[in-house]
Amino acid sequence: MPRINELTLLPKLPLLITESADEFDALRDAFEREIKPRGIIEQMYVHDISSIVWEILRLRRCKVVLINSAFRSALQSLLTQVLRQPGQYGCDVEDQAQALAHAWFTDQEAKKQVSEILAGFDLDESAIEAEAIRRSFSDLELLDRMLTSLESRRNKALGCVAEYRASLAQQLRDSADRIIDGKGVLRLEDAASNRPTAA
Amino acid sequence: MASVRQIAANRRNARKSTGPRSGAGKNRSSRNAYRHGLRSSITSTAGFAKQLDNLVREIAGDTKDAILLERARAIAQAELELARVRRVKVALIERASAFGELDPPQAFSSVTQIIRLLNAIDRGRVPSFPEPVDSSATMPSQEPDRSAEAIRRVLPELRKLDRYERRAAAQRDRAVLFYNF
Repeated sequence: MPRINELTLLPKLPLLITESADEFDALRDAFEREIKPRGIIEQMYVHDISSIVWEILRLRRCKVVLINSAFRSALQSLLTQVLRQPGQYGCDVEDQAQALAHAWFTDQEAKKQVSEILAGFDLDESAIEAEAIRRSFSDLELLDRMLTSLESRRNKALGCVAEYRASLAQQLRDSADRIIDGKGVLRLEDAASNRPTAA
Repeated sequence: MASVRQIAANRRNARKSTGPRSGAGKNRSSRNAYRHGLRSSITSTAGFAKQLDNLVREIAGDTKDAILLERARAIAQAELELARVRRVKVALIERASAFGELDPPQAFSSVTQIIRLLNAIDRGRVPSFPEPVDSSATMPSQEPDRSAEAIRRVLPELRKLDRYERRAAAQRDRAVLFYNF
């Protein structure tokens, strides 16, 4: 079903060319089902929450990819450290580490060999991950700050929907009370007294 | 730190200056305080004016109440500001993904390099120009690695934009809060 407000009034969320508009629509539909927005302001908040969550997912994906792409250099660095004998500074170790790190991604035998080398120092694959994270610290820190900021904005937007609904409900209750109390309502007798009378 | 005499000399020299004279100079100096344009009003772009009016009308309905209309305008304005910041974010990531960086590659990375080149010319040597680095060649070719790398390269800019986005969202929230009062 086309969202009239979404398409004509509320600005559409721009997506990266690699992102799927259908997936974003599905995400927004899920929020709409959950929040059941009434009126343009609530729709605005649902759109905002969906956009924020979409961006959170984008940054989380980015975080994982950054760590994964640092794996090779992390493994190479780790292997150079563990293969090097005390007092040795040869290039041979670095070449060996580079070859093993390259093969680790494609060759099961190499993977096994790396695991055995690491096990010799009471290390396992988590040591590679730790090194990959260490190498990406500055980027990950920035990403984390942005994620924290987005998460706090998402929670605030959710709170704002509730707050808006509560204040609207209060306003409606006040209006209803005024009508029941008769304040500000033109009474029938008043209306009659204002009517011009024939001489 | 400048001495008292230097400060006095600077002031004397500054008084002699009558500012830019050429049209180009005046044009340039008129934009001295301009940084990025994100704080400029959204209505300054003509295309948004109609969108803004439509959104205001949708929020406020058929009311003639000037206060209510003004509050609705504040909500709509902040909402469109938010949309603008989001567009800028995506555009920066896309640009970094296409070119590898936001600024075009420079032949010289520092003034020192230029001075060295000029010295080489003075000494009658034929200088070798450094090859500008092609940043797009250093981008991963596959997704999602390419997008992630593009995001990584524009992270400082995204962080700055995040502040604007938060500010616009806070303005919208305040405007919504006042709308029902």
